[in-house]
Amino acid sequence: MNVASEVLIIAGCALTAIGGIGVVRFRDVYSRMHAAAKAPTLGLVLVAIGAAIEIGTMLAYTTLILVVIMQLLSSPVGAHALSRASRRQIDIEMDAVDELTRDEQSSP
Amino acid sequence: MSAVELVLLAIAATGFMYRLLRGPSLPDRVVGLDGLQSVVVIAIIVLAARADSGITIETVLVAVLVGFVGTTALSRFIERRGG
Repeated sequence: MNVASEVLIIAGCALTAIGGIGVVRFRDVYSRMHAAAKAPTLGLVLVAIGAAIEIGTMLAYTTLILVVIMQLLSSPVGAHALSRASRRQIDIEMDAVDELTRDEQSSP
Repeated sequence: MSAVELVLLAIAATGFMYRLLRGPSLPDRVVGLDGLQSVVVIAIIVLAARADSGITIETVLVAVLVGFVGTTALSRFIERRGG
């Protein structure tokens, strides 16, 4: 029972819980995506570091490093694909200029 | 898994499950599904750390990859069909 791993694991679980609360409380799809894409990713990284300290074998180190790399690569790509797909399907009031529509209109 | 981690992960899973069951649009449900997959991955890692064994830790890698493929395929589906 290492203190550092305990703190890291509890911090990661707390970040995931914050993400879950944000997904319930936020007001439109993009805000919810913001909560669901960022908080659990950092939570996963913290929990993986804590578990690597706790377990302490070479197999766990390599696998957890791979898991962290995969999550850090795949989470932004998934969130980006989802937000691009949902742009035309639902109408949300934008704060500022819609840059993707502007770019599509200006290009031939 | 200690009580603190169990309660925190249960709060997260409840939030994502709420959004999965009654998100008004299809992208909301995909957001809930993606978050729920992250919660499952984190729970498996915490269980492996508590059991002090690296045996179950390979399943995490598969879960992360399957979650990414699921999210991407669903967003392609939304783009083609409409929410």
